[in-house]
Amino acid sequence: MRQTPLLDQHKALGGKVIDFSGWALPVQYAGILHEHAHTRANASVFDCSHMGEFRIKGRKAIDAYDALITSDTDRIKPGRARYGALLNDDGGYIDDLITMRIDEDELFVVTNAGPLDRVAALFAGNVPGLADESADTAKIDIQGPLSRDILVSIGLTTAAELRYFALARAQWAGYPVLVSRTGYTGELGYELYMPNAAAVPLWQKLLEHPGVAPAGLGARDTLRLEMGYLLSGQDFDASRTPLEARQDAFIDWHKPFTGRAALENQRAAGGYSVLAPVQTDSRSAPRHGFEVYRDEDAVGGVTSGSYGPSVERGIGLAYLPPELAVPGAVLAAGPRRIAIEVTELPFYKAGTCRN
Amino acid sequence: MNFPEGLKYTREHEWIRDDGGDVYTVGITEHAAEQLGDVTYVELPEPGLVLDQGQPAGAVESVKAASDVYAPIGGHVSEINQELERRPELVNTSPYNDGWFFKIAEGNLREFDTLMSSTEYTRFVEDLDE
Repeated sequence: MRQTPLLDQHKALGGKVIDFSGWALPVQYAGILHEHAHTRANASVFDCSHMGEFRIKGRKAIDAYDALITSDTDRIKPGRARYGALLNDDGGYIDDLITMRIDEDELFVVTNAGPLDRVAALFAGNVPGLADESADTAKIDIQGPLSRDILVSIGLTTAAELRYFALARAQWAGYPVLVSRTGYTGELGYELYMPNAAAVPLWQKLLEHPGVAPAGLGARDTLRLEMGYLLSGQDFDASRTPLEARQDAFIDWHKPFTGRAALENQRAAGGYSVLAPVQTDSRSAPRHGFEVYRDEDAVGGVTSGSYGPSVERGIGLAYLPPELAVPGAVLAAGPRRIAIEVTELPFYKAGTCRN
Repeated sequence: MNFPEGLKYTREHEWIRDDGGDVYTVGITEHAAEQLGDVTYVELPEPGLVLDQGQPAGAVESVKAASDVYAPIGGHVSEINQELERRPELVNTSPYNDGWFFKIAEGNLREFDTLMSSTEYTRFVEDLDE
């Protein structure tokens, strides 16, 4: 398994380390429920150093990158970020990603660990002057309503000025740190990118604050699912398009991108299954891989499912035929045929991410 | 890991205790509870239900996993732990006491005697970890 610079920290904190996309990462420390609640009420730090980071400099390189992805990079102003996707020629997902414009002439792109080798090869072959900084970059997310005050208290004062999906370069203890007001929890929070050598001192500094606790992949998953954020490789893969994943809002149709023709055809043809939020009326939850049934007919499948600690019921995402993917539709899921109802996102409505 | 003496254990990680008077109490082991993590939901059998050994008798769900619970021995369900509906976390905090699942009456003693002892189950769990 590959290791992040923080692996020894996780072990020292009692983290239960598992294999996640080939990386040794903590699934939990004190327990998922505790870490979830702590993030919603205080602030948690997450090690996301397994993710991919790419730097793209110069007009030519930016244009070449723009031609690949669903986001229009011209719309991303310096100091801003936008969510988008990298698709194959059939319109299927290779990965989702965040594109940040550091300044007029420089982009910073964040991708996921699972498909990283494929994404890196594709970028390397198509974007001249692109630098893959994944191996040299550590990423620590701090998420929760106290995040802003905590970053200010350790000297990352730029956090106070950042609006949602804004970013800025900063210095901390002599290290360059990119501070981006983004996240995967629905809470006010930031993602910090730094050289590997800065990871341990910054992680330890953040944990000195009484409002901060470490959180693992388990809480990260329940937090993101309560918001309806998708997980690459689980809620979508090469067999699913952004139209099916209902990510239409992140497609800039006025410009070219790989897979565009296939998406236009799909949109014109209609009739495709779409990813719908579903919930139970008990603490029993739908699970990844559950079939969805109407009467006795299998009509779809659950891609993500869990108990939602903040909504205190089972929640999930399921691909369903369009006529069933409407709020209020009642279906059954899994071997025990638990009742699920199609609802609307987010499941958790009190998130502080835009505060 | 604590696997109390005097209880019997199954390969599906249930424990069962002979309470005397032909009544047996069933729960899941500390190993099972730890593997599941925070337990969020427990489904229990209907009182009165007649069970054969190995028959599904309920389910336990945690934040990240779900699994069935099986009858360690045949008999009928005489009582269920209704407190688990409100406080499923008892399965984690007190797997052998407050976190019990259900009781079996008129249990099959011969089946009970064939189950693993504490020592045998400890070895069984150690082998799983290897």
